[in-house]
Amino acid sequence: MLRVFVLLGSVLLLIFIGFIPILFLFIKSFIADGRFSFQNYELLFDSKRTWILLLNSLSLSSATAFITLILGVPLGVLLTKTDLPLKRFFIILFIIPLIISPYILSMAWFYTLGRGGVVAGLLGEEIGAITSNFLFSFYGVLFVMVSVYLPVAIILTMTYLRTLNPALEEAARLSSKWFYILRDISLPLIKPGIMLSGLIVFVLTLGELGVPLFLRFDVFPAESFLQFSAFYNFNAAIAMAIPLGIITIIVLIIERRFLRKKVFQFGMTRMDYLIIPLKKTKPIFLIAVGLISSIIVILPLSVLIAKSIGGYPEAVKNSVDSIFRSLFYAGFGATLLVIIGFPMGYMLEHRAYRFYYTADSIAVFLFGLPGAVIGIGLIGMWNTPSTNFIYTSMLIILFGYIAQYTALSERITASALSQIPDSMEESAQLAGAGWLRRLFYIVIPLSKRGIISSWLVGFIFCLRDLGITMMVYPPQMDTLPVRIFTLMANSPEETIAALCVIMFAITLMPLGGLMVITRYMRW
Amino acid sequence: MVIEIEHLHKFYNGKSVIRDLSLNIDKSERLVILGPSGCGKTTLLRMIAGLVVPDRGYIKIDGNVVSKDSKIIVEPENREVGMIFQDLALWPHMTVYKNLEFGLKAKGIIREERESRIDEVIEKIRMREFKNAYPAELSGGQQQRIAIARSLVLKPKILLMDEPLAHLDPELRLVLQKEFLKLHEDFGITVCYVTHNRDEAYNLATRIIFIEHGEILKVTKPI
Repeated sequence: MLRVFVLLGSVLLLIFIGFIPILFLFIKSFIADGRFSFQNYELLFDSKRTWILLLNSLSLSSATAFITLILGVPLGVLLTKTDLPLKRFFIILFIIPLIISPYILSMAWFYTLGRGGVVAGLLGEEIGAITSNFLFSFYGVLFVMVSVYLPVAIILTMTYLRTLNPALEEAARLSSKWFYILRDISLPLIKPGIMLSGLIVFVLTLGELGVPLFLRFDVFPAESFLQFSAFYNFNAAIAMAIPLGIITIIVLIIERRFLRKKVFQFGMTRMDYLIIPLKKTKPIFLIAVGLISSIIVILPLSVLIAKSIGGYPEAVKNSVDSIFRSLFYAGFGATLLVIIGFPMGYMLEHRAYRFYYTADSIAVFLFGLPGAVIGIGLIGMWNTPSTNFIYTSMLIILFGYIAQYTALSERITASALSQIPDSMEESAQLAGAGWLRRLFYIVIPLSKRGIISSWLVGFIFCLRDLGITMMVYPPQMDTLPVRIFTLMANSPEETIAALCVIMFAITLMPLGGLMVITRYMRW
Repeated sequence: MVIEIEHLHKFYNGKSVIRDLSLNIDKSERLVILGPSGCGKTTLLRMIAGLVVPDRGYIKIDGNVVSKDSKIIVEPENREVGMIFQDLALWPHMTVYKNLEFGLKAKGIIREERESRIDEVIEKIRMREFKNAYPAELSGGQQQRIAIARSLVLKPKILLMDEPLAHLDPELRLVLQKEFLKLHEDFGITVCYVTHNRDEAYNLATRIIFIEHGEILKVTKPI
């Protein structure tokens, strides 16, 4: 009974907080002037701008997904399967763009390639104009988005390669060279994982608000945000949100239909995996990986840090309240995500109850939905006189975090629980322990690492969030990413750069803590 | 003599897994390496295949040094060695035919010859009707036969077998042991077979070596 209450409760909470507002949004899109109408859709599809936005959003997302795969898969292979030196260092470098707000990276690129940027300073105004035109074009936005989401393709390629049964490659090694083994065995076996990372990048790019807004590239989330915040046109904002919802559903169907059950069961018998000796090509690959990481990560971050010198006193003075609020919201949000995500992950892993699949689909759908859409949904539902206490408090931000990021904690928990043999819980059950006792004395202690990882990932995603927070934050309750974004237009560059560096530093803080904990604690 | 092993050593994390091991394997012999789990028998097999580098000593195949003192001299794909893994390692995304064809293709063998070799082997193991099946569609015994066929189709000088029957039920194990002996008779190949099952060892071997803690304890010939 208790089990049903906890598991079902977590799902109902997610539906109430995240799914109902979206449903509400969908219903509202059929209402105009208080009556049922297709007017919003007629306006939407009659407008030439809609199609331009759709084309822009789809081409940017597709191109980003394609290029991240082209670059990310070989990098994932190099960083997992070869004897490339400094692998750990490169992995950390490549992960950095993922843990910071994407628009911070676009800001760093603005300081590098903009008209008054480092390149213009070094090579002259004419070159600066060319690089600036590039940055504020489709290709510039694409370049920034690729650098932001490249880690997704790298990490997933690495993860899937590590789960590959080494014997499958060894069997091929007895008759083939590594090139053919990678081409015909390893990569085809992890193809569903590669496709999945492409889909994730596609969806994340589609929902990205900060980068296109900063680089002035017209896409659906930015337009939806502008309709709402600049023109106070709620109906237009809803109409702009609908195509994004439809695309997310299509992507979800593709994932469920074509990828979910296609991952091969590798039946791993050993924990090691084969390493490809690079031999004479080692220096070439080392230079290539070093060059890519320098261009994508080291260069923009160095420029940002250099630019920030002298801006810290003003930055701290202007934003100390936002910094603490960000940390508080992110910490609280991550804790709530673990509380809701853990039972959902448990349900997913144990296939408990028939609706586990539906519950997972809802969580994944909400994760794939652009933050701006979730924000509009939440406003539509809670901005009423009777629920104003939610709309005007931090609850609305926390609801947004729960709606969007529960899928992350759910999936991390499920993955951690899959490492625990069923016999652990079963033996406790035979010993007479009830579900709650088993949960607290067996399952939770054994999945400690997973819970901490889930909290950390939740913390990072809540901290870097812009799409939802920007839409829903009540007055005087902004977070640091929002404060940076609003100060951007009329504050000195060094102050903004300093705020970005502070943002980066506070994101890294818990990761540093985790490294210390894992080093000195026995699990 | 097909394989010569002299003063072989292997260490993992400072712990000795193979200690000063010397061994010769003759042509067409069915050598069974018997020993408890963790005694180093699989490591020895993987060193012969070239998948693990020895720390000291050398291995010769057909008179040529293939591994010596922390160095792989002949890469695994050039050793003409076949291996049957404990979990068989059939590539799940390829049909039976493709599984068999992969190595032949990698060796640059032309299509006609590939087809005739695959047909010949697949006929011998009586699996013709399963040519287009995927490994997951086959029973344990059928998968076993395909794993052997995948090695034999490359006409290796030596076939290394790493407890290939370990996960099967006793009845099927006996059936496959008989099949294996028949295949050995047909192909006349040198076999090095690892197991921790004494009965299996006595059923299959022309010579048995007992290994413990990485050292040969005893060599015997079944009656």
